[in-house]
Amino acid sequence: MNIRLATVDDLMGMQACNLQNLPENYTMKYYLYHALTWPQLSYVAEDHKGRIVGYILAKMEEDVNEGDESYGHVTSISVLRSYRRLGLAKRLMVQSQEAMATVYRASYVSLHVRKSNRAALALYKDTLGFTVKNIEKKYYADGEDAYAMQLSLKHLAR
Amino acid sequence: MPPSGIPAKRALPLKEAALFKELLNQYESRQLKKAQKTADQILKKFPEHGETLCMKGLVLTHMGRREEGLDLVKKGVRLDLTSHIVWHVFGLLQKGEKNYEEALKSYTQALRFDKENMNILRDAAHLQTQLRHYDGLVETRHALLRIRPNLRSNWIGLAVAYHLNGNLVEAKKTLEHYELILKNIPDYDVEHSEVLLYHIHVLEVLGEYTEALNLLDVSAKSRAIIDRVSIMEYRARLLSKLGQHDDAEHTWQALIEQNPDSYKYYQGYLSNRGLDLSSISDETRAKTLNILKDFSTQLPRAAAPRRLALDVATGDEFKTLAEHYLVVGIEKGIPSLFADVKSLYKDSQKLEAIASIVEGHRTASVASTSSPLSEPPTTYLWTLYFLAQHYSHTGQHEKALELLSDALEHTPTLPDLLMLKARVLKRLGDPYGAAKAMDEARVLDLQDRFLNTKCGKYRLRAGMNEEAQEVFGLFTKKDAPSPGADLEDMQSLLFLVGDADSHRRNGDLGHALKKYHAVQKVFNEIEDDQYDFHGYSLRKFAVNIYMNMITWEDRLRSHPAYVHAAIAASEIYVQLHDDPSLAKKNSPSSTLTEAEKKAKKKAKKAAQKVQEDAKKAAQSANATEDKGLEPSPTKDEDPDGAKLLQVTDPLERAAKFLAPLAVQAQDNILAWIAIYDVAVRRSKYLQAAQALSRAKSIDAGYPELHVRLVHFRKTVSSLPQPPPAPIGPALTESLQSLLPDEVALETFNSQYLQKHPGDSRAALAFAKALRVLQTPLEEIENVLFDQLRPENTLDIKTAQNIFAFFREINSTKVEELRSQLDAKFPLSTVFKSAQEVAALRKQAFADVEVVEAEKVESVS
Repeated sequence: MNIRLATVDDLMGMQACNLQNLPENYTMKYYLYHALTWPQLSYVAEDHKGRIVGYILAKMEEDVNEGDESYGHVTSISVLRSYRRLGLAKRLMVQSQEAMATVYRASYVSLHVRKSNRAALALYKDTLGFTVKNIEKKYYADGEDAYAMQLSLKHLAR
Repeated sequence: MPPSGIPAKRALPLKEAALFKELLNQYESRQLKKAQKTADQILKKFPEHGETLCMKGLVLTHMGRREEGLDLVKKGVRLDLTSHIVWHVFGLLQKGEKNYEEALKSYTQALRFDKENMNILRDAAHLQTQLRHYDGLVETRHALLRIRPNLRSNWIGLAVAYHLNGNLVEAKKTLEHYELILKNIPDYDVEHSEVLLYHIHVLEVLGEYTEALNLLDVSAKSRAIIDRVSIMEYRARLLSKLGQHDDAEHTWQALIEQNPDSYKYYQGYLSNRGLDLSSISDETRAKTLNILKDFSTQLPRAAAPRRLALDVATGDEFKTLAEHYLVVGIEKGIPSLFADVKSLYKDSQKLEAIASIVEGHRTASVASTSSPLSEPPTTYLWTLYFLAQHYSHTGQHEKALELLSDALEHTPTLPDLLMLKARVLKRLGDPYGAAKAMDEARVLDLQDRFLNTKCGKYRLRAGMNEEAQEVFGLFTKKDAPSPGADLEDMQSLLFLVGDADSHRRNGDLGHALKKYHAVQKVFNEIEDDQYDFHGYSLRKFAVNIYMNMITWEDRLRSHPAYVHAAIAASEIYVQLHDDPSLAKKNSPSSTLTEAEKKAKKKAKKAAQKVQEDAKKAAQSANATEDKGLEPSPTKDEDPDGAKLLQVTDPLERAAKFLAPLAVQAQDNILAWIAIYDVAVRRSKYLQAAQALSRAKSIDAGYPELHVRLVHFRKTVSSLPQPPPAPIGPALTESLQSLLPDEVALETFNSQYLQKHPGDSRAALAFAKALRVLQTPLEEIENVLFDQLRPENTLDIKTAQNIFAFFREINSTKVEELRSQLDAKFPLSTVFKSAQEVAALRKQAFADVEVVEAEKVESVS
């Protein structure tokens, strides 16, 4: 699969992929907001026909206190079930992290995952190397708790 | 102090003038209640004061009293036509309603009376961008820059305006000027970095590669540009274009190392060496292959060079590479392996090679399973999985099902196998069996929304709309009025298109239209979405991506979902125009089953509750709360689309829906046929002729086009009198080029059939043309019954179209045709009788689910 930086032309494919895979969904405006604010951070995986089969939608955290380190945040990442075992999630994540570190000098990247989503938790922990920092009570609209996870990007600093 | 020379009716005494100022301030800080009081105070003495009336109207609109507010604003405008304030306010309201065209007119009026008002100019620029009025935009941006040259974004705004207006040279000059006067750029500034990248982009488009490279190198060295990937991409491309191939190669190599799975980088690397991946010749093949092999060795984890090598290699070389690729893929259990190599099937030798490699692997693993050192059983499973896809792809669906049944016996719990089974059944024309298999896949992993979505999609395909919503509802928001409503809010085109198609196949045209219009609405929303970015992106200085958004929005409606929805909806509108009685026949309640009625009641109740809750919330909330200028969503008065069926202007609606396709889907023959169908019925004969000639240039032998050609000539020649000049002569001319006058229509029709012997799609077109020529029904029916004979090849799709045509012409032999088709396609269920279908739908669930559903039933 072809892995490349997401353009605006990819956003509808990313939205479709997200709706198919994950319970947290967003309208197009939110995708546009990501792409037009941090155009270097979101990546896609596409098949031979140009269909988006996986994506990472990422941003920089905007509410950082003066003097605190800046950090990136993964709003959403997923790969269609039929395109698993290719290491796409990892490849997407690596590209995004690199950009977070070099363009925005992010010192770490954060993400949230539903407490019940064991498959995703395993991906973030075991494959991508994230660690759980804390539990955010009732983070999701339906009342479920989230694990707040982080991964240091210090090794990418230049 | 008001400036001198203001009209008497606008001038206020000192006290009221002060109040008016206060009113403006209160509005700015959104103290709506206070603002309203202040306005009333002025109006008490000066009830005809236009500006105050407008401000009050604006305030009321913010408070949610829209109609009242708008009336006041209109009145205020009439009373003081030369005030910039009244026009500005009117424009704000129109903009809030997304009536950009009218809003711009009001802003233009406002600017006539206050040429240098920053706020009005800025809003006008945004409106001009939204409406693509680029000449005006350049002027507005000029005005803004003149007034505030020290505002950085005003410079970028002008450059962008020039660029959009096609004047890249001026855009470049503006950027150069801007960079000269810049002072105090902070270190490591992302915004400045983006502006420089935009400047380099402009230079590249202008073909000024040396200048672009210089700017890039200087800015990269000084760390003014900090986006490393962009630096390398521009650098590699520019060096290649400048013919500095050695330096370019280094950069392409660095890019590949940075992202070894980007196809673009390999293309760049190869094309820098004069090798074009998209047209490999015998001369370039070996060289290209060697490079790709080197990369495969250098970057063992990268998939791209190995896969690209399969495109390039031929013969034994291909076999060796493919064998390795396929065996590794199967051993790793990569589900997408077949989808990945399928594009190689265009080459029949590669197809055979792949089949024999994987078949060989199957034989080997069958033999080895008996030995103690056997490979893991999953390898055997993935081999079967691959082969099943292969055989289904080559039309051998039964063989595919056999392999899948072996595999499932081996491992009944792998969802991928059941998903594939569902797909094969779907291709065989068994949507109910497919839905069942997909449900069986779903219950194996209830946490996976992907399986859930697929299941819902397959239920829609089987016409099970309610059941689809039920299953979708396991993942949609619980507080939404219905699962469908949440999916619609989240802009799920998969759901909206699937649901619409499903209703249409079920004959529920009202619901279908409703959902096709929901698709249209999503695209309208996305078009509106760009509005805020006209200002936002300039402030963020991310210009390249903003320009990307503009061009994307310009072709937004080329998206397959829009094209499909527009064509389908227009077909329904044409049907309604041709037979208005359909609207009555389609009253939704007449066709509902008990379960559907029950579900509907439930949905209605839920929707009511949501509305009541909203009302309560509105009442309890502060009545003076700012509700903004955009109208809040109104109650859906026509949830079933019943009113859509009864519209008096179906053709105009169809034409509007289709309008974007003439530009954005101009390579789509179905779009031109739909445009024709609507135009000819609206007596727009030149447009109709043009549509047909566009269709003809895409595929002259296309069956549905043939029917239209006959229809068009027949329609035009039956006109009581030819249209007046210049339309008449132009029409005669274009008709002549479509279908020469000398040829009789009957002859034209039979010639078409003769030109496509054994092609049942052509035979159907021939029959449809006979119908246009008012041939007796029996003759038409016979032509089509002939298609079922063993010597003719008839695929399911065409068979379904023939069946639909029989219904359309109210043939008395529909039932006879149905049972014959059912016998001809024994594995398919699409030709079952209504009762049989009802029974099949009841069985289209995983068995576990049935048990659970019964449990729930008995409890409740």
